[in-house]
Amino acid sequence: MNMTCEDRDRIFENGTAAEWAALEAHAAGCAACAEEVRAWNSLSVAAKELQDYSTSPVLWAQIERALIAEDARKTQRAERKGWLSYLPAIPMGWQTALAGAFVLILTVSIGWRLIRPPVPPPHEDPSLLKSGALKEVESTEQAYEKAIDKLAAEAKPQLEDPATPLMANYHEKLLVLDSAIDDLRAQAGLNPSNAQLRHQLLAMYQEKQETLEEVLEARK
Amino acid sequence: MGTMGLALPWKARIASAPSGIAAVGKPTITGKWGTRVEGSEHPGGGPMRAATEVANEDAALATECQSGDLRAYERLYALHGAKMKNLARNVLGSAVDAEDAVQETFLKVQRSIATFRGQSSFVTWTYRILINTCYDARRSRLRKKEVTTDDDSEETPRIEPRAPGAHPSLRMALERALGKLTRHQRDVFLLYEVEGFRHAEIAGMLEITETASKNTLFQAKKNLREMLEPPRSSSAPNRS
Repeated sequence: MNMTCEDRDRIFENGTAAEWAALEAHAAGCAACAEEVRAWNSLSVAAKELQDYSTSPVLWAQIERALIAEDARKTQRAERKGWLSYLPAIPMGWQTALAGAFVLILTVSIGWRLIRPPVPPPHEDPSLLKSGALKEVESTEQAYEKAIDKLAAEAKPQLEDPATPLMANYHEKLLVLDSAIDDLRAQAGLNPSNAQLRHQLLAMYQEKQETLEEVLEARK
Repeated sequence: MGTMGLALPWKARIASAPSGIAAVGKPTITGKWGTRVEGSEHPGGGPMRAATEVANEDAALATECQSGDLRAYERLYALHGAKMKNLARNVLGSAVDAEDAVQETFLKVQRSIATFRGQSSFVTWTYRILINTCYDARRSRLRKKEVTTDDDSEETPRIEPRAPGAHPSLRMALERALGKLTRHQRDVFLLYEVEGFRHAEIAGMLEITETASKNTLFQAKKNLREMLEPPRSSSAPNRS
């Protein structure tokens, strides 16, 4: 095999044994290549200086302890996993079937919820009174109305002939209240279960009662 | 180039260069000047049989480790522990850090042995973990020092004093020069020239091609020569 100095780097990089032998033969007659080959190989020799295979007496003991501790941790983790750890033991086919069944159930459930016509929930308006409570309210209201009518009868002479501007104002106010009460009673007659109307009506009666009491008070 | 001598007294040492510098059991051929040429390029009965035996032993060791046998790990340590520590020391520059890296490597092997599928040899896989662990340790050390560099290959391993060798000045010069190489060049040089691995094994460890490993070694040695060589004389050599 003919060898030239030009082949040297290629052989240094990726030369076969035969090529190295040819290079060495060439180097026997070429001082430059002999020096290059010598220097090249001297790096390999120098690399041996970096070999320090002294054994550490404690290193394996440390590693062994660490491996045992890690193994114990692994066992604890596996125990904590509980029943899930059995999952890998189930054959792949069964795992797929279970997953498929789960997905199917989920899909059917969601589909049923979406397709089913909505059933309106029983609506209970808290502002409506039940029949029992309505009767009770109506009877109480009638008794209260009678009591107010008695007050109105007592105050009637002063109101019909007001001696003072204050009394005239009271008269005016009572006329407005009576008008509002009549309106509310008419609405409550149409919608007797409406607690809101009843509440407003009660407020009007209370206002009328207070006004009549003030008229009677003024008479004294 | 009249004299292509190096700054260090290597010329005197060439004559005493050991003839077999590859790892024991590895199919290698050594030239008369101590040149190491891999046996895979020259298949023969002997080296092939040795390679098969190594592969079988490797597979058996992997299986035993997979079964969680602590004695298998002990055997792995007995076979490769010193070499692993030496490699880690050359990468990290500290014996203490090297021992930590070896211990961490064994733990990582134990944690991920179930994922080992035998695409590469078990030992190659273990060394790959070791190298990655070493570079993780280097990065972590860099972060601790709060040194900001763009490329961690620029970080030179801090070199601790070792037990005195035959040529301490040569070793120190080489360690300094190695620190200036790129990460891959340093790794390939250490794995091939110091630890005696074959390019096929190095390719597996560093996840590069065999050709890239050869090329990287060539570049590494060329750079090392330039760094360790004294200033050249003006006289040009006669090339044939």
